[in-house]
Amino acid sequence: MITWDSFLYFALPAMVLWAASVLVLYGRKKKSAAVSGSNGDGSVKVLTDKQFSVLSAWLTLAGVAVFGVFIALMWISMERPPMRTMGETRLWYTFFLSAIGLVMYLKWKHHWILSFSLVVASVFIIINIAKPEIQSKDLMPALQSIWFVPHVISYILSYAFLSAATIAAIILLYQKDLADRSLVRLLDNVVYIGFGLLMVGLLLGAVWAKEAWGHYWSWDPKETWAFITAAGYLIFIHLRLRETKIHRLTLWIVIFSFVLLMITWKGVNYLPAAQGSIHVYSNE
Amino acid sequence: MDDTKKRAWWQAPWGYKESFAFVGGLSLVGILLQLTTGNFNFMILEFPVGLIALLLVLVLTGLMVIRHRSSFFGWFSGVPMSVTIIAGVLFFTLIMGLVPQHGEGHSHAHSPLGFDTVTRSWPFVLLYAVLVLNLSMVTARRLLAFRWRDYAFYLNHLGLLILLIAAGIGAADLRRYVMHVTEGQTEWRVFSDQGDMLELPLAIHLKDFYMEEYIPKLAIIDKQSGEAIPAGKPQMWQIDTVKTTGSIVDWKLEVVDYIHEAVRNSDSTYRHVPMPGSCPAVLVKVSNPAVGFERTAWVCGGNFAQLYMTIELNDHLNLVMTRPEPKLYRSDVIVYTQSEKTIPALIEVNKPLQVENWYVYQYSYDSDLGKASTTSSFELVYDPWLPWVYIGLWMFIAGSVLLIWEGNKKAKLKKDDHLG
Ligand code: HEM
Repeated sequence: MITWDSFLYFALPAMVLWAASVLVLYGRKKKSAAVSGSNGDGSVKVLTDKQFSVLSAWLTLAGVAVFGVFIALMWISMERPPMRTMGETRLWYTFFLSAIGLVMYLKWKHHWILSFSLVVASVFIIINIAKPEIQSKDLMPALQSIWFVPHVISYILSYAFLSAATIAAIILLYQKDLADRSLVRLLDNVVYIGFGLLMVGLLLGAVWAKEAWGHYWSWDPKETWAFITAAGYLIFIHLRLRETKIHRLTLWIVIFSFVLLMITWKGVNYLPAAQGSIHVYSNE
Repeated sequence: MDDTKKRAWWQAPWGYKESFAFVGGLSLVGILLQLTTGNFNFMILEFPVGLIALLLVLVLTGLMVIRHRSSFFGWFSGVPMSVTIIAGVLFFTLIMGLVPQHGEGHSHAHSPLGFDTVTRSWPFVLLYAVLVLNLSMVTARRLLAFRWRDYAFYLNHLGLLILLIAAGIGAADLRRYVMHVTEGQTEWRVFSDQGDMLELPLAIHLKDFYMEEYIPKLAIIDKQSGEAIPAGKPQMWQIDTVKTTGSIVDWKLEVVDYIHEAVRNSDSTYRHVPMPGSCPAVLVKVSNPAVGFERTAWVCGGNFAQLYMTIELNDHLNLVMTRPEPKLYRSDVIVYTQSEKTIPALIEVNKPLQVENWYVYQYSYDSDLGKASTTSSFELVYDPWLPWVYIGLWMFIAGSVLLIWEGNKKAKLKKDDHLG
């Protein structure tokens, strides 16, 4: 029986593997710099660039697998998907962020994607170790729905993609002429994926709400903010339709929308608007 | 390219400036209406006015289709207008997200600008209407030049359009009531929000209310304050018949026996009796080597029919059982309709019953009695627009899934442009 007590035995190896992966990436860069300094004398190389990339990818994959096994064992031993508490959702965030980081790295070859996603994934592990928030809560009847798992997974996947989009936007803002076309393409692509998933999560939430609470949309503060967030990304997507060269303002909209996303996810509870709200999400 | 070209205001082709002026002007009109007439009254959209509003949107869209080469309609159904309207809607929902909102029938709304009742305020309603109009024209324009490969566009925009219309007009025709029914009785009356008694075209006979509970937890409470320890960060231990040992702070716990539906014998022991008045009980060994404490005894949370049992650990602390949380509750009912139909059904959370345009939801029960409750409450929702909502919703969901692949296609297309 796996419980949170065993978390460290999976989390630490995963983090070590990811750290190794980032070191390999970084080490390769330094090495090639040194090599080009010595007039490109390839004979000092132990591994080729390509081999470094492959090694790094395998290390990442091993970490993802170790972490995935922990989630699977937790699911089996709790007899419900581990998605109820904050600590449990962080597990998924870590898992998907590292997996998606790997896939995107293999596709676009930007080092920052891999190192960024692995660092953030590790930060979520560290938060889970320091502040577990794992008081096991049984699933109340309203949460026992076939929509629950797809709803949460779409949202978490979407958060991971939209975080990557935000980093890409920030990197682009640092460039004078915004001319890195491969990065702009990545940004467009990742926003489409992230936004598609965001809408799937939101709309499945509406289908579920209808079955569980009798109405598909109640303008509860969380729903209101999800709507605002969607509108932010919608503006970005439509602005881009008529843009040939990306504008700074458009990049700022990506960052602004991500702030809205964070408010939807975490911030809503602290807003005055949520204080007087009828709690749609509790049955009592 | 086109948006950097210099041109004067109001000179064709119109773009963002004119769109901003339009959306700003419309918001201003809305604010003036709000100040003078108060909230928009959704009830005026009640059948058949809602249908007439829908017809108006279709007629205007038809007009656009006929005059689709006119520069006015080109502007009104163009990207700058869409973006600006979405931004306008975003602005007012942002207010909704920041200012605490008041529900319907709340008499003391404070904000003359309608900021605490945004969904019923004029600026929001006007922008919503213009969004629907614009979306309808955008979609019609694309359908004029129909291409199969635009399937994602059609699903997203048509789906959203249907959803916005059905939800917007549907808000006026929607009715929700809560009905309380006692076992063995038949009920057809409900109370409205205003407290008036209404008779519905639907009656519910409750045959049986059934409930299951989760295995409860153990906690150690301070006798004085009644708070679980450690103070402020209480630890609850989930009773588990597989992983039988655990601890709370420095108190070790071990489950010796657990009975989910227990009734107390005359002495302090329990036996399994599946009946409404039963409650969970656990035989637990609790020890604390540091102070040399060890005891094995029954702990029970108690309920309306049975006393609770605790283990006294020392002068301040007691080992107690938490109240079990509901796992499932279900009503076995017969629903009668005016059209003389008799429908037997099991209604459960997440498993509502549909009868004509009515939806019956399991709502609540007598929580003091829990499992032994003999009353059950239902929420009855009348929503004639719901089938359209579902059509729009599922089209939109399909469109969103496609968008995930669509992005990849877009990135490939842009690769070939010469401008970026
Ligand atoms: C809120 C209301 C919306 C409005 C007013 C609107 C408006 C527009 C307009 C004017 C276009 C350009 C059409 C053209 O080039 O002929 C467009 C394209 C597009 N919209 Fe929307 N849209 C809305 C919602 C959405 C939603 C919810 C999504 C995605 C889930 C979406 C995704 C797209 C995509 C992907 C395109 C590009 C289609 C293509 O080029 O094939 N839009 N939209």
